[in-house]
Amino acid sequence: MDNLLGASREALLLLVSGDPSLWTIVGISFSVSLKAILLTAPVALLIAFLLAHARFPGRRALITLFQTLLAFPAVVVGLTLYLLLSRSGPFGDLRLLFTQTAMVIGQMVLCFPILVAMGHSAIQAADRRAWETAITLGARPARAMLTLMHEVRFGLMAAVIAGFGRIIAEVGCSLMVGGNILNHTRNITTAIALETTKGQFAEGIALGLVLLVLALLLNFALMLLQGRGVMHS
Amino acid sequence: MKPEPILQFRGLRKFLANRWLLDISELSISAGQCMILSGDNGVGKTTLLKIMAGLEPPDAGEVAYGGKVLPLRTAPQHYRDNIVYLHQSPYLFDCSVIDNVAYGLRRLRMPRAAVQAKVAEVLEWAGLEHLGKRNAKYLSGGEKQRVALARARVLAPKVLLLDEPIASMDYKSRERTYVLIERLKKEGMGVVITSHELYAVLPLADVHMYLHDGKLHDEHQHNTAAQMSSLITTENRHNV
Repeated sequence: MDNLLGASREALLLLVSGDPSLWTIVGISFSVSLKAILLTAPVALLIAFLLAHARFPGRRALITLFQTLLAFPAVVVGLTLYLLLSRSGPFGDLRLLFTQTAMVIGQMVLCFPILVAMGHSAIQAADRRAWETAITLGARPARAMLTLMHEVRFGLMAAVIAGFGRIIAEVGCSLMVGGNILNHTRNITTAIALETTKGQFAEGIALGLVLLVLALLLNFALMLLQGRGVMHS
Repeated sequence: MKPEPILQFRGLRKFLANRWLLDISELSISAGQCMILSGDNGVGKTTLLKIMAGLEPPDAGEVAYGGKVLPLRTAPQHYRDNIVYLHQSPYLFDCSVIDNVAYGLRRLRMPRAAVQAKVAEVLEWAGLEHLGKRNAKYLSGGEKQRVALARARVLAPKVLLLDEPIASMDYKSRERTYVLIERLKKEGMGVVITSHELYAVLPLADVHMYLHDGKLHDEHQHNTAAQMSSLITTENRHNV
């Protein structure tokens, strides 16, 4: 207990003192995860729209596949990417292994099914009259799609926040394809794993606190947004 | 002389739920003409309106728009800009009344000032000036119907398709909606109305069609609105 309290006190000091190595780790985490979610969201939400709106053979199988991929372990994604990007792998020449780019790709793969599955649920629940109204008022399909997405924006935002929460907190994939290199690919979760194995709990707790505060802020933002999107009679 | 039809369907057929829901030999709507479409629940009135609006494809038939026969599959692309369909319970987007009314105009890439002027004019027309900045989702049923009519009118379509426009409305809302539809008709718009409450809409009718077993039956021609009694007095119609 004394250990925990001492480590927590030390962790707070590290955060408040602006320890550069600690804040570099936080910066890498944010940079990688934000790039991953921003690059994935437009494509994933477009696919979610097509799955909810278009009728084509294999649609149900695709929906089931994306829902199954929600449970795909991060470490398996990491392992697959490792094999693809390693020197002897098919994409070895790109020299992406142990780079932030590899971490971004891994996190894109991880958040993709979440965005598609949750986006699909949100769009499928939309009122069909919204689409028909947009079309009858002269909107072309692309504009009508954006209108529909605006109508279900709170559900789509929840999908994006859930996807971001998944990738900012994952450790397995980042560790395998990033390599946990200081000031280069070490992010919050891989740093916590490393510091814990070294017995340096203070830095681990400090980074854990940053993750917790981030989760709190995300959920608070979601609550505010959903509070504005009250049910209409 | 009979006016030239704007939109005309021949041999229109729609197969739904293991039966031919619609099997209509001919249907046409002309400028300034008001057609009342009646029939029991589930006979396909809404489906017919959606086919006319290009929102649902028919299984067979011939479509002519402005006297020109169009390919069945691509016909809606040619006339959709000139035909507006309003749901029984109109869908208003989750934004202000002004943004709802301006929705169709903005896609035309009109200058902002022109959009504002047109929106202001149509809000005044519908008696909605005081609601312009309100979120449309929070309006009453009657107000929503008037916003939807204003949103349609601002696009100056040639045909307006109204699905049960006065259903579940109180007397005052019904009266206001009626007056707006009457004005649209006078402005030269072709109007098709489905309704179960015939006593309230028949005074508007030039043609009354009855849909039964997938076929349209011409009930009778109405030369003047005065032929039917109405709950709405002339005096009230001018006081909306």
